[in-house]
Amino acid sequence: MIIRRGALSLVALGVALAVAAGIGACRSQPAADFGAPVATTPPATVKKPTIRDGALPKAGPVDAPARLRIPALDLDATVDAVGIDAKTGDFAVPPSVDRVGWYRYGPGFAADAGSIVVAGHVDSAAEGKGAFFRLGGLKAGDAVTLTGPDGRERKFEVVARERYRKTAVPLDRYFARDGAARLTLITCGGPFDAATRHYRDNVVVTAAAVEEAR
Amino acid sequence: MHSLSVRRAAVLGTVALLGFAGAAALGSTPAYAKANSQVSVVHGIPGQPVDVYVNGKKTVPDFQPGKVAGPLSLPAGEYDIALTKPGEAIGSALLKVDNAEVPGDANISLVAHLNAEGRPALTPFVNDTSRVGAGKARLIVRHAAAAPAVDIRAGGEPVFEGVTNGKEGKADVDAGTVSADVVLAGSDTRVLGPADLDLKEGTATVVYAIGSAEDKTLDIVSQTIDGLHSAPGGVPSGDGGRADGNSTLPWYGAGAVGILLALLGLTRLATGRR
Repeated sequence: MIIRRGALSLVALGVALAVAAGIGACRSQPAADFGAPVATTPPATVKKPTIRDGALPKAGPVDAPARLRIPALDLDATVDAVGIDAKTGDFAVPPSVDRVGWYRYGPGFAADAGSIVVAGHVDSAAEGKGAFFRLGGLKAGDAVTLTGPDGRERKFEVVARERYRKTAVPLDRYFARDGAARLTLITCGGPFDAATRHYRDNVVVTAAAVEEAR
Repeated sequence: MHSLSVRRAAVLGTVALLGFAGAAALGSTPAYAKANSQVSVVHGIPGQPVDVYVNGKKTVPDFQPGKVAGPLSLPAGEYDIALTKPGEAIGSALLKVDNAEVPGDANISLVAHLNAEGRPALTPFVNDTSRVGAGKARLIVRHAAAAPAVDIRAGGEPVFEGVTNGKEGKADVDAGTVSADVVLAGSDTRVLGPADLDLKEGTATVVYAIGSAEDKTLDIVSQTIDGLHSAPGGVPSGDGGRADGNSTLPWYGAGAVGILLALLGLTRLATGRR
């Protein structure tokens, strides 16, 4: 009897462990992609010949977002205005992992069309986890708030999360300057190659503007 | 009295357009129906407002010097273009180009300006609307003034040298503001500027030198073509490896241990019963 009870509990323990491990394995898989980024094709418009002044173009005001807040990730990060890394031709993501970078050549805070792009580190070897460490965990409907240069806020709502190999990521779509106003958040993800110190993938979250900038 | 120069302008314009059409035909564009061309009209003749006629139809009325009209979306084909004094009949046109050929799927600037001799001319330029690299802007400078050859300098350094009437200099440069001026070729004698040029990323800024050096009416007209931007090469945003998605291995290990335990228990049950 003693042997029998011990054996039974062993079976129960084993089954419980196997089931728990199965659930754990499933849950630790990166969540599946969902949604589709906001349409990028603008409605066809008929252009009338317009007369413009031939004066030299003047630099307009820079409409740089100041902060990015994502309550679901407990994230409230400073946004730096960044451009292109002259050496590589890549997006110049701020080196500090606490900060995220807004692509200053593309649509700005109050843009009424196109993709406002903000990229941030998932992590770095030097500084550990980055602002966008858990970006891939966002779900449809999660709120994202940008704060403008003058403290105004603009609200967005997550509509899509996609993961692409970096060799195949459709950056033209994510950096489009036309189509519906949207916020595109980009970081790294997927398997990490310890030899090259690069992640294989980009994780891209698209959030649609839910109200006009106030 | 303008008949000679008008005829010459017409011939030049037509030859140039035919040249562009030929170049377009030889390009990689397929043979099926081409998209319309985008044609902008640039007014670079100081002191003379005009009506612009396309195929006998008044298209841009009372067009003022220094302005840019368009772009007009025109199917490939031949066009008669005429400029008259505002309100005057097309028969007494200041400048007339018949059968000017517009190629398909091109971006063209048709520039009314003074030629090197100071007579009105109509010159078509095909605008390079190929994409610029991320972070870059295209600068195109065109000599459309009754003036000798010039150098165009940015930040004091010559970037385009020996540019003559009807010709252009072109370069893709880092986006941002540059201080530019125009000097007589090979000299420091400034004829225009200095002026700050704000070269917006992903655009082509076309700057025309217009007017007449002799009449001291030299001036600048500019035109911007946008939508030429490219996406960055990539978005490198992690080199730590802490976010590696491949974290399922320990769970598989625990699962295997569980199955072994269960099997061991079942074996004991079976042997214990015997």
